Amino acid sequence: MYRLALNMLFGDRAKLAMLLCGLAFSALLMAQQTSVFFGIMSWTYTPVHNIRAPIWVSDPMVEQANDAKPMRDTDLYRVRSVDGVAWAAPLHTSFLQARMQDGNFKLITMVGIDADTFAGAPAVLSQGRIEDLRLPNTVIVDEWGAQLMGRVTKGPDGKEVVIPLKVGDTFEVNDLEARIVGICKVRRAFTGGPFVYTTYDRTKLYTLGARRTLSFMLVEPQPGVDPAKLCARIEADTGLKAWTSETVIWSWSDLSLARNTFWWFWKNTGIPFSFGTAVALGLFVGIAVSGQTFYSFVLENLKYFAAIKAMGAGMGVIARMLLVQAFTAGLLGFGLGVGMAQAIGRAMIEKGMPPFVMFPQIFWATLALVLGISLVSAIIGIIKVSRVDAATVFRG
Amino acid sequence: MSTPAAHAVAVRTRGIDMFFGDGETKVTALKQADFEANRGELIMLVGPSGCGKTTLLSVIAGTLTPQTGTVEVFGQRLDGLSQEELTTFRRKHLGFVFQSFNLIPTLTVLENVMVPLLIQGTAQAVAVAKARAMLEKVGLKGREEGRPNALSGGQQQRVAIARALVHEPSLLICDEPTSALDKDTGAQIMQMVRDLSRSPERCVVVVTHDHRIFRFADRIAEMEDGRIRRVVEDASLLDTNHL
Repeated sequence: MYRLALNMLFGDRAKLAMLLCGLAFSALLMAQQTSVFFGIMSWTYTPVHNIRAPIWVSDPMVEQANDAKPMRDTDLYRVRSVDGVAWAAPLHTSFLQARMQDGNFKLITMVGIDADTFAGAPAVLSQGRIEDLRLPNTVIVDEWGAQLMGRVTKGPDGKEVVIPLKVGDTFEVNDLEARIVGICKVRRAFTGGPFVYTTYDRTKLYTLGARRTLSFMLVEPQPGVDPAKLCARIEADTGLKAWTSETVIWSWSDLSLARNTFWWFWKNTGIPFSFGTAVALGLFVGIAVSGQTFYSFVLENLKYFAAIKAMGAGMGVIARMLLVQAFTAGLLGFGLGVGMAQAIGRAMIEKGMPPFVMFPQIFWATLALVLGISLVSAIIGIIKVSRVDAATVFRG
Repeated sequence: MSTPAAHAVAVRTRGIDMFFGDGETKVTALKQADFEANRGELIMLVGPSGCGKTTLLSVIAGTLTPQTGTVEVFGQRLDGLSQEELTTFRRKHLGFVFQSFNLIPTLTVLENVMVPLLIQGTAQAVAVAKARAMLEKVGLKGREEGRPNALSGGQQQRVAIARALVHEPSLLICDEPTSALDKDTGAQIMQMVRDLSRSPERCVVVVTHDHRIFRFADRIAEMEDGRIRRVVEDASLLDTNHL
């Protein structure tokens, strides 16, 4: 009977197309919006992603990775003295204005790393060498920054073209020269400014001799020392705040800086509400369109279901037929919708905007919701068919 | 006219009362309706609109449960059976030919005929073979993969008959089987139904308004005001203007 149920579904192509459109649109909206949401939210903890260290230490009042409250340089020695710490390196982060050759200003995120160990340095350089950062007045710019801060000129066809920054180009930060010795590949930040790496000591110059420039400390535990336990020990011994660097936002660990950053933005911005509204809209549109279309499909087939009932099919068989039809439509609609979301996502990833991260959880949650929509549609149909008297088949 | 085994009763109702609604809206459809049909017989239920023909047919088919009275079909009492038991009974023993065919338009002719077999849980391959054989029997070989809507009215009714008989039911219930057909096609269909009724293990009950097909009946039960008024063997005894 299930094969016949499917043939009934596929036999009415117009109705099936309508049903699939509703389900696919719903799946697309839910998957695409959720993936963009998590993509944008993943940018919030970009510093933790880009600057790799097992443990981050900050001022105790810091709530998230973009919230730098400078500490004294002597705090670095206190952390280094904690039992179980293999090494600790300083890290500076600040938002500064870069003055380009054409006089234009660009907002940048300056990152100062330890010149001895290069702890926190970008993992991949597409141009230049990290060691050149030890030369005077040198910086490394990320690829997106090189594009953003590039020189705008007219091409042969008269259209504007951007000539990205390259090794050897210069700009100024607070009237001090910054000469590019490398271009790196890093993830973009939620705050929008490109990353400009330099040495920790040089950040004191670029920030015009700020008294405190120690934003975070990057810590490596000694071999065999559990990072979580070391965090507790650092906090107990120094009164500072220590975080682990895992970027699994689903983790229950209160120590994860990425997770805390993610949830800080969740609680303190309107982003979840905005995207949540779109996802809810997708769900409601799915239920409304698919439910209505499936109900209409059932109504059109009601006399046939009544005939099948009269011929001796129990409600259990008919209910299963409707469920097979609804879930098949649901799976097809889900496949189409998520496929379209993936295609759009790939196009986004190539452009870099907006970010698109489809976690497996998003895939499965969208599937569950689409099947939920199908289930609601099927239940509406089952209720309708169950109320049909088999004797109606004799009434013309 | 009757076959040797026709004396054994196939369908018997006694003292059937059936009403719908209550209070001022109460409508009495059957009043002490007593009816009998024999094995190997084609019996027609005739009468004016609203006389209770379709209600009696529904009671015999087990799709309506009467308020009073007894219903017996091939030795099985239907009154007192649960809905589930009635459903099982219909599945095994009844075949239906509906007024508007009720062929599922999105299924092929073959699939439509397979429906009763699949409801019974017959294996797909067996169902296909039986449905093909039945379609051949009703003269529709070669039309198996077409859609019902591509067939003429007469062909569609043949498909409906094939579907009604494919699982070899004891009782064939036909509700206005020729109402959508022209005279010649109706006659062909009724000849086929009559031929199929000629078995001691089968009985055919036909509800009809179509006096052109009365000649195919072994007996005709005339209904009036919810009860059987009389049963005749000769259609000429009926006042067809009254029907």
